[in-house]
Amino acid sequence: MESRKPPPSALVDNHVVPGDVVLDLTEMTNQTIKLGAGLRQDCDTIQATSAGRLRLSKPNKYWVESSQKRYIPSVEDTVLGVVVDTKPDNFLVDIKGPNLAFLPVLAFEGGTRRNIPKFEIGTLIYARVVKANSIMNPELSCMDATGKAAEFGQLKDGYMFDTSTGLSRMLLSSPTCPVLEALGKKLSFEIAVGLNGRVWVNAPSPSNVIVVSNAIIKSESLSGIGQRSMVESLLERLS
Amino acid sequence: MSAAATAGTYSPASAAGEKRRERKEELRRHLAEDADWPRADGRSFHDCRPAFMQTGPTTAASGSAYAEFGKTKVIVSVFGPRESKKAMLYSDTGRLNCNVSYTTFATPIRGQGTDNKEYSAMLHKALEGAVMLHTFPKTTVDVFALVLESGGSDLPIIISCASLALADAGIMMYDLVTSVSVSCFGKNIIIDPTSDEEAWQDGSLMVAYMPARKEITQLTLTGEWSDGKITNAVELCMDACSKLCDILRERLKDASSLAE
Repeated sequence: MESRKPPPSALVDNHVVPGDVVLDLTEMTNQTIKLGAGLRQDCDTIQATSAGRLRLSKPNKYWVESSQKRYIPSVEDTVLGVVVDTKPDNFLVDIKGPNLAFLPVLAFEGGTRRNIPKFEIGTLIYARVVKANSIMNPELSCMDATGKAAEFGQLKDGYMFDTSTGLSRMLLSSPTCPVLEALGKKLSFEIAVGLNGRVWVNAPSPSNVIVVSNAIIKSESLSGIGQRSMVESLLERLS
Repeated sequence: MSAAATAGTYSPASAAGEKRRERKEELRRHLAEDADWPRADGRSFHDCRPAFMQTGPTTAASGSAYAEFGKTKVIVSVFGPRESKKAMLYSDTGRLNCNVSYTTFATPIRGQGTDNKEYSAMLHKALEGAVMLHTFPKTTVDVFALVLESGGSDLPIIISCASLALADAGIMMYDLVTSVSVSCFGKNIIIDPTSDEEAWQDGSLMVAYMPARKEITQLTLTGEWSDGKITNAVELCMDACSKLCDILRERLKDASSLAE
């Protein structure tokens, strides 16, 4: 069985699986290309190493976008973590990754030895990945690049649930995801989405929290139109 | 009353045993003739059983797959990558932990599953060449295979199903691994044997193959084979593996389009 060698970017926005040849470098002269997640160079070809959709960011950046239950930490990702242990210098946080993440006690706005935050085990934290290395445990921070707390920190009350990494990316996509847009027109609620596949929802009434959570969970396998009609039917039952 | 009840008791095991004995006698007669003979399920020698595969049956796992080839039914769950136990030494490449087990009702005689340790080791050998272990250092990926019903050619189906589950879990792989086995009966080579055929084979050959890379990750040979026959059998297996890989690709594409 011959390996198919498509012309450059013929498979863009199509599904690829491990072993698929996505680019033939012999046909691409004097071009620099950047490879993202899910791709590797094998001699004169670029092959997929994971299943998903091949994406191209113009002019020359290729990667495979896939939806998984596990999260591989990446720098500058915003994540929702659960504190699992406290140490003198840092908190150990579960971010659904291969290893637990470190959150230094000083990685908060105005963090000094005198005002160390006290988080109990089980506390939900919205943080930013500062260091991500396959050999080391990831490091988190509750400050943005300028040193301000921004939206990061402890999330109180509300309800947290797990989703796939694909759904969390969809919720954070621009323009606004249809399900959130449709819900936002009728209900008031707060939402925090982590790229690690965790979503936190808070609303004035528990019924609103349940509706928003269910709508988000159901939206994963629906199109934009399907999401809007699903939200409408949920809100009809609520009223 | 009790005597009458005992007399009227129906024993499915003995009835099934008689049917099996009849089939084996028929097979023995055909083998003595050494000519072309019809297989019990109506397939020709070079026909595989109808295959059904599906991803995501186990919601708790990182990735999972279910495979059904004729009467053989297998479910594989993949967990991880997750942190290796503290007792394990540091490793700059990941670990692949494979475990094969049988349900008590998988075989006709209750609780008589094949040697699980041997199958676990063979599954590990078949998959480790395809998984990019260096992409998850200090961590372990666990592959748990459970045979729900054993109908022959169990290990090749476990390998193919495990490969699908690993891809579903998003584990980096060089290529998908598919596996097929053949049995030798006198002059004849039959592909994808059932458990009855495996019981009377002169020899067996199993190939685990990466079709896109054209690499064999495992080749297991038992019994009496001639050089020419081995070459034919390996080519037959590789061709079947390539076709099976197309099914795996379709399943993965269906799964990722459903997720969107």
